[in-house]
Amino acid sequence: MIPSELSCERVSVAPGGSPVLRGLSLRVEAGTRTALVGPSGAGKTTLLRVIAGLEAVQEGRILLADREIHRTAPHRRGIAVVFQEPRLLGHLDVLDNVALPLRAAGIARRERRRAAAMHLEEVGITALAKRRVQGLSGGEQQRVALARALSGDPDLLLLDEPLGALDPNRRTALRRVICDVQRERQVTTVIVTHDRSEAAELGDSIALMLEGRIVQHDEPRALFERPVSAAVARFFGVANLIADAAGTLAIRPEYVRIDSGGALRGTVLEAHYVGDHVRVIIDCGGRRIQAHVPPNTAPHLGQKIDVELPAEHVWRLPSSVPAAGEAIRD
Amino acid sequence: MPPGIRKVAERSRRARAPAIAAVIALPLLALIVRAFADVWRAPAIVPQRLGLRGVRIAFSGDTATAFTNSLIVALLTVTVALIVGWPAARVLGERRLRHPAPVFLLLAMPLLVPSYAVGSGLTEWFIRLGLDGTIPALVAAHLTFVLPYVTIVLLAGFGPRLTAVEEMGSVSGLTPLRRLVWVTLPSAAPTVAAAVLLGFLVSWSDYGASLAVGAGRSMLPVVLLPFVGADPQVAATLALLFLAPAIAALAVTVRAGRQPL
Repeated sequence: MIPSELSCERVSVAPGGSPVLRGLSLRVEAGTRTALVGPSGAGKTTLLRVIAGLEAVQEGRILLADREIHRTAPHRRGIAVVFQEPRLLGHLDVLDNVALPLRAAGIARRERRRAAAMHLEEVGITALAKRRVQGLSGGEQQRVALARALSGDPDLLLLDEPLGALDPNRRTALRRVICDVQRERQVTTVIVTHDRSEAAELGDSIALMLEGRIVQHDEPRALFERPVSAAVARFFGVANLIADAAGTLAIRPEYVRIDSGGALRGTVLEAHYVGDHVRVIIDCGGRRIQAHVPPNTAPHLGQKIDVELPAEHVWRLPSSVPAAGEAIRD
Repeated sequence: MPPGIRKVAERSRRARAPAIAAVIALPLLALIVRAFADVWRAPAIVPQRLGLRGVRIAFSGDTATAFTNSLIVALLTVTVALIVGWPAARVLGERRLRHPAPVFLLLAMPLLVPSYAVGSGLTEWFIRLGLDGTIPALVAAHLTFVLPYVTIVLLAGFGPRLTAVEEMGSVSGLTPLRRLVWVTLPSAAPTVAAAVLLGFLVSWSDYGASLAVGAGRSMLPVVLLPFVGADPQVAATLALLFLAPAIAALAVTVRAGRQPL
């Protein structure tokens, strides 16, 4: 299958009169994974529903492999969706659930069950083929949903927080399956998540959505280290935004060093142990600096320490942000 | 808990449902005995003579016609109620109305009035239209109180979960018709079965509207009632006949209800 490029051009949606997507533009390169992140209410799920045809576009257009699809019925778009809940059919066994898109394509029962078994193998649940779906765990059900989505051989795969309801171990396992399957098939994929670390792991690129627009779309490292605005910086955990005469400087807390000989001198105000590091808040002459330090080198409250902001990790926020974040990528 | 005790507890749990069913069915046994008791004078505990007198008398009149009429009316009523109630229940169940309360009130109104009163009101119109005593008139009269039951039961099963699997069907490549047949109907089967059972039973057992609108047309509840008190054996026989389709409908419902959404 030749991978298809997805392009959303100035898409606006206002269900019930209140705008959710506001002239949004997004381009997903053929055969790649884009993680769509943003806070709750940013419009991520709405965008996926609009692309899938489950919500109507009010303005703008959507193209898949240069073909306009925004007026096409959902069942003719060649798009598969894995929802946050698996949405399996209780009256069918696992194999028939997976084979549903093949049944829709008119493939004979024996053949589609054989094909469905292959898709189950792809997602690592061959043993569940004959099981009823009610007895499956959340992770297993979500794998069945993924196998079902793949069985239709879609041009575009949309995943709407597919890991949201899973425990950390199952999340990790399913994350690996999603990446492996996508890499193998080269299917263009958009994955919604609100977890920025997960987005970095799942996406070849990350698109950040704020208030119905894509504000930055770039490779994962760029969003973490070279945010285009304070809002992007805050979402990606750039806790240190320092205003100076020329604008705003940003540095991630994990790059702040608390070595002796640092250019700044400060007092430790807070120190919180969070498992893999200690989050330290330092008062440097009225300016609060956050640093993440290994637990074994964490300073104690009230300690006077030297703070170093390595120049190679300091990023100056652009003075003007492009209207649609696509400009940053393209 | 030791495995032995757990096994006993599990068995007793499994035995509980049949035991409860048996207790509930006990009055049925009394009905069966009464239907075949040709002679049963007080204070005897058991009948003095068993026989088929009740069956002979029950079936000597127009019972068969009444049975057929009641069955046709109940089946047609429940079919029309499903066709009309389905879209109404979807709109209400999916909370697409901004102010659903007045609709609910309107829907429930016929249930607040005795069916005979509804039937009497309709009869006047049916006479004017020349429809009194016809099957369509009886179906229309039964619909007034069957439709609210069917719609209310349906809307309990229609909501975000049904919409969610339908959306899944759409993005799995199913056309609207295939989605209805392969996804919507099987997913809603338990709810539809419950609505059909309730609608059928309400129509099947209606006396008031059948009497008012029937204009002499035989309907089973109308045939049954005069025997209650006058001849308990015939009443018991007719009551058993009355139960048969209801039990069949129940069996179908239980089977459909095994496939949850």
